[in-house]
This record gives sequence, structure tokens and C-alpha cells, in this order.
Amino acid sequence: MNREGMVKIFGCIGAIVLAIAAPLALSSIYWTSVFTSIAINSLMAASLRTIFIIGEFSLGHVGFMCIGAYTSALLTMKAGLPFGLTLPAAGLLAGLVAFALGYPFMRVKGIYFVILTLVTSESFRLLIYNWKNFTGGYDGLIGFPGAGVLSIPGLGQVDFNGFTEYYYLTLAVVCVSLFILYRLEKSRLGFTWLAIQEADKMAGAVGVNVLRYKVIAFSIASFFAGLGGGLLAHFERALGPQATAFFGVMTTIYLLIYMVVGGKSKFVGPIMGAVVLSLISEFTRPVEEYQPMIIGAIAIAMVMLIPEGLVSIPEKIGKWLSRPLE
Amino acid sequence: MGFLEIRKLTRFFGGLAAVMELDMDVGQGQLFGLIGPNGAGKTTVLNMVGGTLRPSRGQIIFDGAEVTKLPPHRRAQRGIARVFQENLLFSSFTVLENVQVGYHLQSRIDLSSIFFETRSNRIQEKELEQKAMDTLEFVGLGQYTNEVAVNLPHGRQRLLALAIALAAQPQLLLLDEPVTGMAAEEVETMLSMVRALREQKGITCIIIEHNLKAVMGLCDRIAVLNFGRKIAEGPPEEIVENPAVMEAYLGKEEDVT
Repeated sequence: MNREGMVKIFGCIGAIVLAIAAPLALSSIYWTSVFTSIAINSLMAASLRTIFIIGEFSLGHVGFMCIGAYTSALLTMKAGLPFGLTLPAAGLLAGLVAFALGYPFMRVKGIYFVILTLVTSESFRLLIYNWKNFTGGYDGLIGFPGAGVLSIPGLGQVDFNGFTEYYYLTLAVVCVSLFILYRLEKSRLGFTWLAIQEADKMAGAVGVNVLRYKVIAFSIASFFAGLGGGLLAHFERALGPQATAFFGVMTTIYLLIYMVVGGKSKFVGPIMGAVVLSLISEFTRPVEEYQPMIIGAIAIAMVMLIPEGLVSIPEKIGKWLSRPLE
Repeated sequence: MGFLEIRKLTRFFGGLAAVMELDMDVGQGQLFGLIGPNGAGKTTVLNMVGGTLRPSRGQIIFDGAEVTKLPPHRRAQRGIARVFQENLLFSSFTVLENVQVGYHLQSRIDLSSIFFETRSNRIQEKELEQKAMDTLEFVGLGQYTNEVAVNLPHGRQRLLALAIALAAQPQLLLLDEPVTGMAAEEVETMLSMVRALREQKGITCIIIEHNLKAVMGLCDRIAVLNFGRKIAEGPPEEIVENPAVMEAYLGKEEDVT
């Protein structure tokens, strides 16, 4: 195995060990819940990148998260289904909606696609806001169950209602999801996506069904956004007025910032961006009203100084260290 | 009956008729030239044959089946490939990867190939890589496999674009200005390549080119377009003598005495 492969594997193992050890070391409910939301943010940013790979930007990613959150919440509340079923259902419904919308949407490119995703996501939000007797509207859904007791192979029955247990469940779901997204990107499917990003006309001319491949990417990205929504819903255990604000366009913009600051050219970039910026958001909580400004300033500084993002820093340091001495 | 039959092909852009009632037959194995002054509608015809543009009216029949309404990838499946006018490549991919995209139709994408590196997947990857290498050898880019496409000089980029199109195993190749902007010796390489494609693989070509010397020396048959209409068609020696063609290119001779 080459050096780069070793770095990747050790980096990955290190990150997982750190993620597992962190709540135990800090043993505070506050930090555990912060880590849970960081894990969800990472999944959201990484799945947004899947849309970026086909050369498009979406301002409506959070809309699919919203579908996932309400699907899982309503299924547990109204149908009494267990979390083990409602979470995949959340992803599936979000993915299916994306699949159905993908065929008309992906016929347009660039800014037109961005606008379509933006208005779609806002429509989802307004639909939920106004469909009072089903979604609770402005009052929201309150007091739906958490993840509850799930049987895990090898561990038996585990109660995931506690903060720490729920964090580990989230971490597991996020890690598996990230692994899947990574494999997709490295496969021939991801190769074809990248080819479409580079030159869709040329790809079409050699037989790539561009529309279908774009819709697949959009659906997969939305599936994982739906999963993220499901995880968020049962973490918060309430989807109230703040939730309807959360599912607005600002959240997608944050996800885009995570992606850009972390570095969109590598898989790990958006995840890195999500972790670092979410932590910065936490540390700046005392000056909460300035948070968008701080994050915005960081984004601008990164774009101006290191446009390749945080992921490029180790490489840059490596180059600097191995520079010929005068 | 031709290999490619174009019947009353018409395309409007707003009120402008870019191509008007074009009838054209290209025989199998023919090297067919499409010439005309700028704005004559040559590229529009190629776009309609390649599928990136829908005709306003008319029919395109390829190998006995109508393809008028098929999207580009379906036409590629039937054997129509395209080299675009601009240097359209997968720019940040390596030369080898560019050609591997061309082999898309022969690659298999399924769940097992995404999550497991099975033996059959590895064999498939190896095979496709070898095929891509062979194609690169054919166009003479064998020693540049690991270069990033965008770093190649213009002439080699054109050859790479040709290699990508060849990877799709075409029967009909649409070449839009294959030698424009090339140095003299590069032009020769490209022309002999196109001849070799016909001789070795029986590939039919439609060639748009402003380099008239190249077209005349290469093609068996030439059609001349002017303002979207065909004003002449025939073998090269007839075309150069045709008064309507001279007029389209050079303007009308006027008595100024």
C-alpha cells in the first residue's frame, strides 16, 4: 500500500476513535449533543457534495432533510413504527421525491437548477408550516418518541433514548452512510459523475445517459439528507417553530460553506468543514448574534487565502517542509 | 438508400432558418465533407445528427432506423459518435481516463462493483484499461497516458478527442473541424488517421472543415451549404468547378468597367 493510502486509513481510524472517545472523555450531556449535531452536519455536507460531483449546486438540500425529519417523526407518532423502520423510510421518501423531481429539474443546469431547488425546498417548508392538522404547523410536533430500544446484533437490546447512546447510534449511521458515499464516489459510477461534471456534452456523445446519472446522484444525495433529517428529528424529539426556521435556506447555505471551507475537491473536505465550523459555532455561542458574521468572515477568508479548503493544508505544509533548502 | 439519410431537415432559431429542407445521403464507408462559409449551418446539421439539437422538421434515418428524436446517448449506442468543434475534453482527467470514459458503454456498473472489489470487476477494469491503451496507441498518444488532458497542446487534444469518440466504437463519426488550428504535419497525421479508420474499421465520417485543401484531398463526396441550404453536392473535383460554390465563397463577379 502506498503512503497516501496509509494516511487515509490511519486518518479514518483516528477520526473514528476520537469520535468514540470524545463523549466518554468529556462526559457532559452538552458536548455529547454538540457532537451528535456535528455528526449529522457532516452527513449533510458530505451528501451535498454528491450533487456537486455532477457539476450542480443545490440550495434546497435542507428541504430533503425536512422531508426525512417529518417522515420519521410522523411515522413514529401516528403509525407507532419503531425507529429502526422510520429512519430508512425517512431516507427512502426523501430519495423518492428527489427521483421524481430529478427528471424535470435536471433538464436545466447551473443557476436555473439552483433556483428550482431553492423554491422546492421552501415549498416543502411552507407546506409543513400550513398543513396544520397533519404536521402541527407552527406549533410543531412535540413529544414524539426517541430512538427507543433497538436490538443490535452482538449487543442485544440497547436503549437509545439516552444522549450518549443516541450519539453512538448517530455516529454509526453516519459512518456507514459516509462509507457508502465514499465507495460510490470511487466507483465507476462516481467516475461517470465526474465525467459529467467535466463535460456533459462529451459524456452524452459517448453514450452516457447524462440525465439518468444526474438523477441518480440527486436521489442518493437526497436519500442521505433524509436520513440526516430522521436522525435530527429523534435527537431533538420535537419539530417546532424553530424547526420550521431551521429548514430554511440559511441551513443549506451553511452546508455549502462547510463544503467550500473544508474543500470540495476531496471527499473528506465537507466533513472537515462541518466539524471545524460547527465547533467554531459552539465556541462563539456567547456572541450568538454575530455567529453568521463570524462564519461568513471565515468563509471569505478561506476562499481568498486557501481556495482549495482545509483539506489542502496538510499537503501545503508537506510541500513547505520538503522544499529545497537554500 | 444511404447509411445515413437526411430528409427535409430544417431547424429554425427564432425566425432564422439555420438549416432549410436539407436532403443528404451518406453511404457506408464514405468520407463525406460538409463545407460552406461561416454561418452556413454546418455545425447545426452535425448537432442534429449527433442529437444535441432537435430538428424543427425533417427526418434522420441511420442504418435503416429513424433516430430523429433520440437523445445523444441513445445515438451513441447505435454507433454515432462525435468530435466537437471546441476542444471539449474531460479536462482535469488524465489522457487514459478520458478514453476510459469513452468506453462507458462497455463498462458494467452494479452494486457489487461499487462495494466489493471482486475478481470479475478487476478483470473488467484491466480489460477496459487495455482497450483504452490500445486506442491511445492507435491515435499516437501512447506515451502521454498519465498527462492531464488540459496540459496537452492543441493538436494532441484534438487527437485525444478523436480517441474518446473511437472508444465508443462508432460506425459513423462526426468530425467538426478536426484539423483547424493544427500545424501542417499534424494535419497530415489527422488526415491519414481518418483514412485508416475507414480502411481498417470501415468507419463512415462526416467532416466539417474550413481547410479546403484538406477536405478536397480527403473526402469522396462533398456537400456545400450556404445560408442553411445545400447549393451543391458531388465529388471534390466537381465541387471546385461549381460556379455556385465559387460565388458562395468568393462573392459574385461583377463587371466594374
